[in-house]
Amino acid sequence: MIRFKSSVFVERVMRRIRVIAAALLCALPLEGVAAGFGNDLQIHGFVTQGYVNTSDNNFFGDSEDGSFDFTEIGVNASYKVTPSILVSGQVLSRRAGEMDDGAPSIDFALVDWNVFSDEHLAWGFKIGRVKNPLGLYNDTRDVAFTRPSIFLPEQIYFDRVRDLLHSSDSVHVYARRYSDFGTWDFDFGVGVGTVDKNVEIAFLSRDFGGELDTDGLAYVGRIGFETADGVWRFALSGAHVGLAFDGVATDPLGDGDIEVGFLAASAQYNAERWSLTAEYIEEPVEFSDFGTPLDVNDATAQGYYLQGSYLLRNDLELLVRYAEGFAEKDDRSGAERSALTGGRAPRHSFFGKDWMLGVRWDVTPSFMLRAEYQWNTGTRNLSLRENPNPMAAEKDWEMFSLLGSYRF
Amino acid sequence: MRPSFLPRRRWWLLFLLCVSIARADQALVAHPEVVKRELSLNTARLMFSMQMPQWPNGAPVRVFVLPDDHQRHRDFAKNLLNLYPRQLRRVWDRQLYSGTGQPPETVSSEAEMRQKVAATPGAVGYLSREEIDDSVQVLSIR
Repeated sequence: MIRFKSSVFVERVMRRIRVIAAALLCALPLEGVAAGFGNDLQIHGFVTQGYVNTSDNNFFGDSEDGSFDFTEIGVNASYKVTPSILVSGQVLSRRAGEMDDGAPSIDFALVDWNVFSDEHLAWGFKIGRVKNPLGLYNDTRDVAFTRPSIFLPEQIYFDRVRDLLHSSDSVHVYARRYSDFGTWDFDFGVGVGTVDKNVEIAFLSRDFGGELDTDGLAYVGRIGFETADGVWRFALSGAHVGLAFDGVATDPLGDGDIEVGFLAASAQYNAERWSLTAEYIEEPVEFSDFGTPLDVNDATAQGYYLQGSYLLRNDLELLVRYAEGFAEKDDRSGAERSALTGGRAPRHSFFGKDWMLGVRWDVTPSFMLRAEYQWNTGTRNLSLRENPNPMAAEKDWEMFSLLGSYRF
Repeated sequence: MRPSFLPRRRWWLLFLLCVSIARADQALVAHPEVVKRELSLNTARLMFSMQMPQWPNGAPVRVFVLPDDHQRHRDFAKNLLNLYPRQLRRVWDRQLYSGTGQPPETVSSEAEMRQKVAATPGAVGYLSREEIDDSVQVLSIR
């Protein structure tokens, strides 16, 4: 894979993307009005409030005492300029304990240009800030109605480093091939990722004076297949993101680079009343130029889950899931990783395994309630920001959570 | 008392008749100026999953649906599209919340459905047989 170290090149590419996007945004409405399409503005949104209570450790706030620090509010606007050009954006306010303070951010803002479509083939471009098409759920991960559970399986859709693979300011090309048998779906993008403080804390273990930022271009892609009746879904997806740390004099570590890869395989079976879902990921992480001890931290993280749901009534769904994740797939006990820290991080902070039982009640098509119980072994899914001392985190912990979500 | 062979067979015939009536109980309807007379199952699925934005002549496709929990919507999805309503909702949600599509317009009743489909060029929807009149045209699914 070609990697561009020079941020000048990236800047130039990004400037070009912005110019093209701005030009499209300006030019299109005129064309739309001229062509007589003008009544295709849609506004939608959602409000989600969660409650988390854990036996030990902090997850989305001071959860040992019961935490309401989990709120998602989104407003979404889309405008169909012509039948084949859609301009859309979503503003999201997300409160997630110490990880996110609720400051509104642009979740996505893009032009989707469907260059061609008929009953056999469709293809086009997406330009702007695009949610990364990773796994089955990343593109809509902040919308409770689209998640299978209150929290997505943390071993795959990590909340503690959510921004790393969340979205990119990018250009995507997509294609869909339809047949009586099913639909093939291709989506490839190149651009610049979005990174926040959580990423720095997750990879460098604390928030230093310097900045950890994206370096070079980020690549993301997904190939999917879905049978025409929607019963089987398969997907392979992947991403590559480069990060560079630019330290200041007071930082105890030098400048360095981190390369992060992500590969996911997903499968789902949907019957009328029940469904089975499984996903598997590997995430190779490579440190360079920091010097020891960071550079010896290279690892390939691994995660997977199996999830079953059963529709008891049309408005009532039961859910069960088992998930496992490891910081290094060849060190499942965490012994080697723990030794690398000189024992400052216990073995159980390098894996996370959990059983989960849940229920979803669709009170109306636009209002939903959920309740879940989770039994955890290991603390890998916890944020260091919320649990600063890894030695103090309990290995075995349980979690009860509630969620209400309304959409319009 | 054990039923004789003949009545049992009649029971099956009656059952099959009921099933076929149930299947034919609703139809896909379109604006009267839509030139197509029939759609392939695949095309109908693409239209109702909002992946077919245009008719062959370039005019926009306008899709109308009843609420997810409306019995007519469930029957249409299951019997005519061979999809579960949940699958349609999943596709609409994925498009809406990733910025790649817009969900169909939801109407609250069959009367509103008929009126909207009749008044909107390029419209498709569905109605029970007794709600269909000359203001809309029926498209068959092959």
